[in-house]
Amino acid sequence: MTTSAHMTTGAVAAPARARTATAVATVRRKQGFQHGGWFVAPFLALFVLFVIWPLLRGVYLSFTDANISGDAANFVGLDNYREALHDSAMWDALGHSAYFTLLVVPCITVLAFLLAMLAHHIERGKWLWRLCFFVPFLLPSTVAANMFQWLFTQGIGLINETFGLDTPWLTDKSYAMLAIVIETLWWTVGFSFLLYLAALQGIPDHLYEAAKLDGANAWHRMVHITLPMLRNITGLVIALQILASLQLFDQAVVMMDFGPGPEVSTRSFVQYTLEQGFTSYRVGYASAMSIIFFVIIAVVALARMWLLRNREESGR
Amino acid sequence: MGRPDLSRRHLLSAAGGLTVAAGFGFAALGTGADALASGADTRVRYWNLFSGGDGANMIAMLDAFRKAHPGIDVKDSTLQWGNPFYTKLAMAAAGNRAPDLGVMHMGRVTGFSPGRLLDPWDVGLLAKYGVREQDYNPALWKRGVIDGKLYALPLDIHVQLCFYRKDVLKKAGLLGDDGRMIPVTSTDEWFDVLKKARAVQKKGLQTIGLWTNDQNFQWWFFVAFYTQLGGRWFNDDNTEVLFDPDKATQVLEFLRRHVTDGYVIPGAPTGEQFINGAPFTWEGNWSVPVFSGAKLDYGATPLPPVFGKQATHAESHAFVLPHQAGRGGATNEGAHELAAYVVTHALQWAAGGHIPAYTPTLSTAAYKKLTPQNEYVSAMDHQATEPKVWFAGSTGVLAQDLGPVVVSSTMGSAKPASVAQTMKRHLTRLLASKNPMDGRTAAQGGAVA
Amino acid sequence: MTTAVQVRKSTRKPWTPSQIILTLLGVAVSAVFVAPIAAALFTSLKSEAEAAEIPPHWLPKVWTAQAWKALWETGNITNWFINSLVVSVCVTSVVLTVSALAGYGFARTEFRGKGVLMGIVMSGLMISPAVLGVPLFTTVQQMGMVDTYWGMILPQCAPAAMVYILYKFFQGVPRELEEAAFIDGAGRWRVFFTIVVPLARPSLAAVGIFTFIASWNNFLWPYMVTNNPDLMTMPNGIATVMNSYGIQWAQLMAGGLMAGLPLIIVFVFFQRQIVAGVAHTGLAGQ
Repeated sequence: MTTSAHMTTGAVAAPARARTATAVATVRRKQGFQHGGWFVAPFLALFVLFVIWPLLRGVYLSFTDANISGDAANFVGLDNYREALHDSAMWDALGHSAYFTLLVVPCITVLAFLLAMLAHHIERGKWLWRLCFFVPFLLPSTVAANMFQWLFTQGIGLINETFGLDTPWLTDKSYAMLAIVIETLWWTVGFSFLLYLAALQGIPDHLYEAAKLDGANAWHRMVHITLPMLRNITGLVIALQILASLQLFDQAVVMMDFGPGPEVSTRSFVQYTLEQGFTSYRVGYASAMSIIFFVIIAVVALARMWLLRNREESGR
Repeated sequence: MGRPDLSRRHLLSAAGGLTVAAGFGFAALGTGADALASGADTRVRYWNLFSGGDGANMIAMLDAFRKAHPGIDVKDSTLQWGNPFYTKLAMAAAGNRAPDLGVMHMGRVTGFSPGRLLDPWDVGLLAKYGVREQDYNPALWKRGVIDGKLYALPLDIHVQLCFYRKDVLKKAGLLGDDGRMIPVTSTDEWFDVLKKARAVQKKGLQTIGLWTNDQNFQWWFFVAFYTQLGGRWFNDDNTEVLFDPDKATQVLEFLRRHVTDGYVIPGAPTGEQFINGAPFTWEGNWSVPVFSGAKLDYGATPLPPVFGKQATHAESHAFVLPHQAGRGGATNEGAHELAAYVVTHALQWAAGGHIPAYTPTLSTAAYKKLTPQNEYVSAMDHQATEPKVWFAGSTGVLAQDLGPVVVSSTMGSAKPASVAQTMKRHLTRLLASKNPMDGRTAAQGGAVA
Repeated sequence: MTTAVQVRKSTRKPWTPSQIILTLLGVAVSAVFVAPIAAALFTSLKSEAEAAEIPPHWLPKVWTAQAWKALWETGNITNWFINSLVVSVCVTSVVLTVSALAGYGFARTEFRGKGVLMGIVMSGLMISPAVLGVPLFTTVQQMGMVDTYWGMILPQCAPAAMVYILYKFFQGVPRELEEAAFIDGAGRWRVFFTIVVPLARPSLAAVGIFTFIASWNNFLWPYMVTNNPDLMTMPNGIATVMNSYGIQWAQLMAGGLMAGLPLIIVFVFFQRQIVAGVAHTGLAGQ
């Protein structure tokens, strides 16, 4: 569209256009060099102070035995990393975060898709469905967790009461993580639901109409049009959910009263890191774990980018 | 259509601008909204960890103090007990924004880096407000002294107790002539008592509340019974682990048997069960006001000496001065005055079930009349405590590492014998580990022990 | 007018059997989603004794506003509410300003090292207080900002994601619009404020709303950096500070609803913009 606009102006007054173009180019370069840096500077200042510097500082601290008081620390080489590799509690914590991710991500993706399909196909009261499915996401994590802690508590909780159960949701290690997963589904599915809903609304109607004319039934239309059109958004939903779920902290600590859960069955990696730093005062060791975690997150993020690029290339 | 819309937009943007300006104004000011409202001369910020009945008692005592000292504004904040509290206190002290007065468990003081995160008490100032060393049990006072300075001013001793319902035990013939539970001296006798009680109790309830899946309670019970068996943790120099896996196995099997014999419903809320008619529950003495409030006919003894020797787990709450760079002046004096007031007016505190640390209170007639406090006051003479090392103390590293392991045995997901070995491994590792605050192991931290 | 629309709609869209089934399904699923919030609301209207009763029941037997009244009287909650407002408003305005400038700078201006800087900023997408909490805390501690509003606000003000979203948007703005203004002699800044910003209003609204939600609901960072209960925000205060009478479920639920209510109201009023914003964010992320 831009090209056609160029062509029309060009056809009307070609010589004038050429002159202004060079003028604009010089103006643009001059202005750009003058001000470009200043546009970015405020953000960069904050970014360096609160993202880059802590990262570098974390790397430095991970080689020391620093404690919480901020006093001078001793250089200990790779000791912290060596200890971490042999720290079974750290591996357990990583396992809990991974297990949680494994449970949450598929459930949320499927549930969000189904909810979006439902809301998209009901013709009346769209705003109402949107509101109902999205509203939990608007609650602070701690509030949502408190609500479910209370709903799950044996004896006074309404979940057991309503379904006629007597399950020790929060006090038995075989249920505790499940309780956190259920709470997380309820609390966060709304965000992915909205992403799917927006994507569904973006699928052009004429695709469906053409398919109808070809005699495709509803199931075929979903498999051959809807699902392929939602591939990109599904990739995004899964990636965002993996990154968010690996960083599990809020729900787990609130529902378990800031403890590690029954028989240490729900302590997440983030929780263990913070305990090392702020409860055991081992800032050096906690920093080493932070760096390890950063590497894990980076690997996940890079893997997604790599997958995306591969798909784009094979798609062409 | 256009004009009202326009003016509404103007109004909205004006309101938005005002909110933004107010927000930045507040942020620049840097104090909480509450501080702005306070007008008293001296403001003592006091953090504690008391909830439930303790919280109510503490508030009543603070209100009494406020009435008697109108010039001192006490701003008390209750934080959730356990790690969040110690974390927040440590971070506030490290960030040099500590409150003026705080409460801690005695066992945590050594690991809390006295001198770095805590400031010492001015003993002269305390004496001025009526608290002197000779008013204390010497051993208890000494627990708060490190490198010759007082860092923790004890408020109480609190113990784990065996609560029993007199109405149920009477039916089972388990009450003595004095109306108290008959003494138990062996595990066989104890399970016999449970069996008899179960025969007469209300159906559908558990026989005893044991907090089987709570890592704190299970750890405290373990410490109590391990001490009854005469078990030791480390040698005196803290260089060697003397933990005895055989004794530990005995204790773990004892705890586990309550579950396998069906006396416990794991996960059931213990207090509610007891109130509804369960014959026994093992709880901290802080449950006294709860059960008294429910108008139960009940008694409370120290944990039964099933391994022959009396010993029950005990800890103490103590007042501390979190580190402030510029500590001193009227605020600091106010903190001393407040702490001394609460310590010397501890009768109200004793109503919460705690044994007052200020000995003059113990000999008052009013205290001697308190039931069931007078039944278990002897517990202070045979305390089972954690070893005196930097990683010990309420919800400290030791309890955090070993508590869940004990739970796994009681709940049956691991065998007692192998759990005992795991515990020994943890203890060996902890003894070799360095206190992050000063880089010294327990053996090197001689002054601390 | 509304009725007219409805009448027209209903004549156009008849209640087919499949629509009836779908609508009933929608109602059932919505009920599941709303139930926990409704339960919280009902519990907040019980007495404390009734809230902890065994067995529990959904509706209060005796309706009472004691929990709400007690909440106001103990005072903490109003403090936290103001703190939350201060923090969220400051974070939102700073984020909007700096990320709009940076997004535009990266999209439309030239300067040395732009590519490298852009790459570094994008790597920031992977860093959050959950990932780098302890080093971030020590940094803020060094700056003396533990237990201050600034300590809570500033570290939330460098979100690479928001820069990226606005960067994508500014890239799509036709250059011709700016070039015409340059020829008229306008400078970069004037072009930015008079032409680009008004065009970007929907995107800025999306970024603003999401930043506000994220900041209002943020727990982890305020939890780490504030210890003084006077300075806590709503989510943090509710989770870590209990009032002195133990867990009082009715009050806890009332407090939770108070923390959640402002955003729910915002959502009801700005639903269209928020949904568009999510779509927008999603598209940028794809």
